[in-house]
Amino acid sequence: MLKKIQKHSHARFEQLGYPSKKLENWKFSSSKHLKKYDSTNSGKDISIDRYGDEYTLCFVNGQIALESLNKFIYKDDMNILDIDELNNETTCSTSSNFEKEALFHLGLSTIKSGKYFEFKEGSKFDTPIQILNFYSKETEALRISSFNIFKLNSGNNISIVEKDLNEGSGSFNLSLNKFICGDDAILNHSILYDDNTESNYLGYNYYELGRNVLLNIDSMNINSTFNKNFIEVDLNKEGSEVKINILNLARNQQHLDNNILMNHNAEHCISFQNVRNILDDQATCVFNGKVVVADGAQKTDSNQSNKNLLLSRNATAHSNPQLEIYADDVKCGHGSTTGALDKDSIFYLRARGIKESDANNILVKAFAKEILQEFVNDDIRNLSEGNLSDWIDG
Amino acid sequence: MIKIENLKASIEDKEILKGIDLEIPKGEIHVIMGRNGSGKSTLANVIAGNETYEVDGGSIAMNGNDITEMSIENRALQGLFLCFQYPVAIPGVSMAYFLRAALNAKNKHDGKEEMDAVKFLATAKKILSDLGLDDSFLKRSINDGFSGGEKKKSEILQLLMLNPQLAVLDETDSGLDVDALRTVAKGVNEFKNDNNSVLIITHYQRLLEYIKPDVVHIMIDGKIVKSGDMTLVHEVEKNGYSWLMK
Repeated sequence: MLKKIQKHSHARFEQLGYPSKKLENWKFSSSKHLKKYDSTNSGKDISIDRYGDEYTLCFVNGQIALESLNKFIYKDDMNILDIDELNNETTCSTSSNFEKEALFHLGLSTIKSGKYFEFKEGSKFDTPIQILNFYSKETEALRISSFNIFKLNSGNNISIVEKDLNEGSGSFNLSLNKFICGDDAILNHSILYDDNTESNYLGYNYYELGRNVLLNIDSMNINSTFNKNFIEVDLNKEGSEVKINILNLARNQQHLDNNILMNHNAEHCISFQNVRNILDDQATCVFNGKVVVADGAQKTDSNQSNKNLLLSRNATAHSNPQLEIYADDVKCGHGSTTGALDKDSIFYLRARGIKESDANNILVKAFAKEILQEFVNDDIRNLSEGNLSDWIDG
Repeated sequence: MIKIENLKASIEDKEILKGIDLEIPKGEIHVIMGRNGSGKSTLANVIAGNETYEVDGGSIAMNGNDITEMSIENRALQGLFLCFQYPVAIPGVSMAYFLRAALNAKNKHDGKEEMDAVKFLATAKKILSDLGLDDSFLKRSINDGFSGGEKKKSEILQLLMLNPQLAVLDETDSGLDVDALRTVAKGVNEFKNDNNSVLIITHYQRLLEYIKPDVVHIMIDGKIVKSGDMTLVHEVEKNGYSWLMK
């Protein structure tokens, strides 16, 4: 199966080439600098003993570390297979939009292996599963690709906390994931990017939802040099609800980029996208958010919000919220704001004796906290609040 | 307490204050009345150091120290408090956090210890109760979703917590029903003592039924044109401002 997929992806990448700025999703982010990452030979065998407990699945340079899998507490509550062992092509397929993405295919065509994790129906997964992506680079031009599929069966309630750990020189990390959520499943996917190396991250996460699914995606991004994320959700059956809360903090010349596509394909589904960026220095960010309500997806309730706080005159935010509605009985809203700290608010705080720099910090924190307070995972929220304070303190 | 001499100020090259002279001694309550656009709120903002306004001349001194060029926060730390006409909403910052930050800044400036959480809560709860507000008020974001009355009571809560030397009340009575007006006035009267001062800026006489001023000033076109006692208020109430413009 894997060879077949890779053959197809290799051909697609050859056909498409590195994305140019002519493409909507790449209009404000260059892929030129990613070309130099052409080595896929990670080599080094790394011990991950100190990095995880029995709730952690550790991936080293894109591949699962067997020692973490062996001690994984939930391994008997799951079917874990190599993607190569799957014989159903549909399980591996992702969205038609990712099919158009050259670098998605570059990632898929160069993975060394991938895993399929299926959570058994009726099993309990009370403690969040931590996925630790450990990147260790020995060469400057290392590109690391990974592809994993997670399948939640009916009634599963799963929390996944994903973190990256980088060591060594900068690399290009290409992460591809597919999440299949059966009816009545709950998936809380928290992602924390707090890498402070010169790494480039490109992520493609595809979520396929059944009936009455609850999906929460919480993400905080701090310190990445280049971080571009694609999230696509297919709400295929009625009654599902998706909440996406993303906070990005960037300074210097960092580039942070969120591309979200929400496909309402069924009736009575709800989705919220809430993305906030705080930019300092010459940092840039992009928000491409799109909601597509298909013909017949009546009673859809969808909202997109993108707010960008610019702390420097040289920071740039690109915001492109879009709605495409083919049903006539829906509630859809979207909004985008970009601006500096509110002068009246600063005056108000200073008029109570609070120093200007402290007043600014209070307002930055408040802007960020409105996202963080929505995070479903307490640990990630607390960790994110700590990261936020550290970032503000410089 | 505060002495303002020939104060001139503008916004975007439009001259608004055209030479204000005003002195409020310790222990007194002064009132400034005037029509819309006469410059009352500008005066309040310029006293507080709002950088939107340009001071074109004159001086402001507090307790003998010139504060005309002083930063906003340093004026506050010197004991100046502006009760905002339109308090801004700041989502994501709780009243408790804000009040503690303000109190700590003041205590640090005064060389005092930070107020501990227990004492802070006890003090705040007492004032909240007097203002007819629930303790949960402290958990709410600053002025976010507050009614008009709650916003003004929030200002009075801050006034009583911070206990400044000079309170400038910029149309604190606007938008209040009778009960809220009484509560706010009660708060101001509780604050007032022989060692501090109050400057009330208002359109109407009704707040002055509850707070008795020592001196009344009438402001017209960026200048104080007449000063007197409460009889001046009654004259304005009866005859308007036109007779003062001659």
